Amino acid sequence: MSTLNLSVIRKLVQISAFVFFVYGGLITGYYLEDKLSSALPALSCAYDFQGSDLCTLIPIQHQMDHRLGETIAKGGNLLMGVMPTLITLGTFLVLFVILNKAFCGWLCPLGTFQELLQIIGQKIGLQRQESLSKSLVGKIRPVKWFILVVLVFGFPLLTGMGMLNHDLGDPFCKICPSRILTTLATGSTEQLHVDTANATTITLTLLADFLFGLMIALGLTLRQPFCRICPMLALHAVFRKMGLLRLIKNASPRCDRCGLCAKACPMDIHEIHTDMTSRNVTFEDCTLCGRCVEFCPDKDVLQLKYAFIPVFKADPQYFKKRKKAQTNWEKQNLITWFGNKGRNSRAEPS
Amino acid sequence: MKPSNLVILLAASMMTPTGLVAADEEQNLKSSKPAVSHGHRGAKTFHIDNLDGATITYIKPDLSSQPITPVMGKVTMPVSGVDNYHALVVEKDWGDHKEVIIRYQYMFGRPSKQNPVRLTAAQKSEFEIVPDPLPREHYRYHSQQTWGFLARYRGELLKNHPLTLTTSNGSEQTLHTDEHGRVTFQIPDDFPGLTEGERSKQTAQLTISGEYQQSDTSYSTQLVADYRVNPSHWQSTELGLLVLGIGFLAGGYLGQNLKKRDKKA
Repeated sequence: MSTLNLSVIRKLVQISAFVFFVYGGLITGYYLEDKLSSALPALSCAYDFQGSDLCTLIPIQHQMDHRLGETIAKGGNLLMGVMPTLITLGTFLVLFVILNKAFCGWLCPLGTFQELLQIIGQKIGLQRQESLSKSLVGKIRPVKWFILVVLVFGFPLLTGMGMLNHDLGDPFCKICPSRILTTLATGSTEQLHVDTANATTITLTLLADFLFGLMIALGLTLRQPFCRICPMLALHAVFRKMGLLRLIKNASPRCDRCGLCAKACPMDIHEIHTDMTSRNVTFEDCTLCGRCVEFCPDKDVLQLKYAFIPVFKADPQYFKKRKKAQTNWEKQNLITWFGNKGRNSRAEPS
Repeated sequence: MKPSNLVILLAASMMTPTGLVAADEEQNLKSSKPAVSHGHRGAKTFHIDNLDGATITYIKPDLSSQPITPVMGKVTMPVSGVDNYHALVVEKDWGDHKEVIIRYQYMFGRPSKQNPVRLTAAQKSEFEIVPDPLPREHYRYHSQQTWGFLARYRGELLKNHPLTLTTSNGSEQTLHTDEHGRVTFQIPDDFPGLTEGERSKQTAQLTISGEYQQSDTSYSTQLVADYRVNPSHWQSTELGLLVLGIGFLAGGYLGQNLKKRDKKA
């Protein structure tokens, strides 16, 4: 495919962001995150010694544990206890308003990795799971909220209050696939382990390693398996109305029947085509990747808007080119390559 | 014999005959307390001996500094309100001999917005040993790990200069700096009484020391830091890989099942 389309641009941005967030510290010096944000709205891991910024879920867990939890336990000033979290959320919001949920779809290293897995799966000829059913998606959606409430806020808070053991102070980090991915990407196997210190560490590390393996296998055939349960997606969902970048829909009567946008959506958001009333369709699972806009065949029905300015709009001509490019892209895999090679060798005169 | 009476004690039990630097935080002695009161955000206090005539300076991440007055042989690094590394510099000038001890201590607080490289790059004494780099967020010095250090005299890197690593567990090794004034030590795995598979929260102290002679003045410098038991004693990468593999197989099975369900639907 020679046409530069939105998906290609997005891939280039994703790869650049991956390199920057995973290896950026090598160029810019350690502890760059202090100068950047330390509250990035994407899973950039602190365990990555070469990383350039920290995911916001890390300070939140630490603040629940060491600040708010301890303040509650000691009967201290609650406002002082919650203040660091408010500052972290404030920093998060300053960044989040700029790009909204596009931090997931365009910048998150773990999201990029899962898209690469999907490409690998497609290229080695594994059949791709096109879309998950509505009912399954409906069952999966609450998981991210559960993880956000229990693992990011709940357990660390209870740990700070002295009700849980210290190993549950940052439980989401302990199971986050980004921790294993980014450290492995820098050549370190330190975070891929089973920790036999106690029952809590054994459970958490078993879960982390299992989840990482599960994500890799699922990622080969299913789009964005971990993103669907990521607590960062849930945190984004809380503030998504504040972001300047939005997915806007001007519903047409054809929307009800077409459904190409929902089929293109890597997060299987069926409501994109069934919702005929909302104008802002930046749904809670949306990552603002823009694929639905690319694959919408009706002019201006779906748009990515930055504040009030349309930055990318559905267009029938673009749709035709994009669909053709996608078909060509999906045709090219190892199975067809070997098939063609076999046919060519049989056709050669002996 | 060079005067070398500046002594920081490690739990009142660490003594070496010359130029001794051995320290531990009072915090560490209290580290077995529950999380509620482990107080890692508090001031850090060090036992120090033979401080008469010594100059003690506390340097913050933005390089602002303040003198510290010891109380009853103890030096306290006060809470500065900002996070990141702070430096404690203890100097003693004997005329023809200058002795210095430097410790980089991570303190917690609001973001300092400073890169600790700024702190390590700043000249804190004429002859000093500098971590290159300092362990960053989520990292500490652990046994078995390899870390780099620079030897500098008045900001100039010292090539082929001998530096000695000693630990409070009794290990010692001497290496020379390379062409770039850098030396890489592997921290010894020398904690006593470890049981494989069981976590150990022991901490010990490492000291990297060196001597330098310039004209009629001799210098001795010591960089002190805490190090911990390497978690590899109770963390298994092989098991981790095995579990990852099981997860991978489970993912493959789940993926196939989803396909079958979809086909049926």
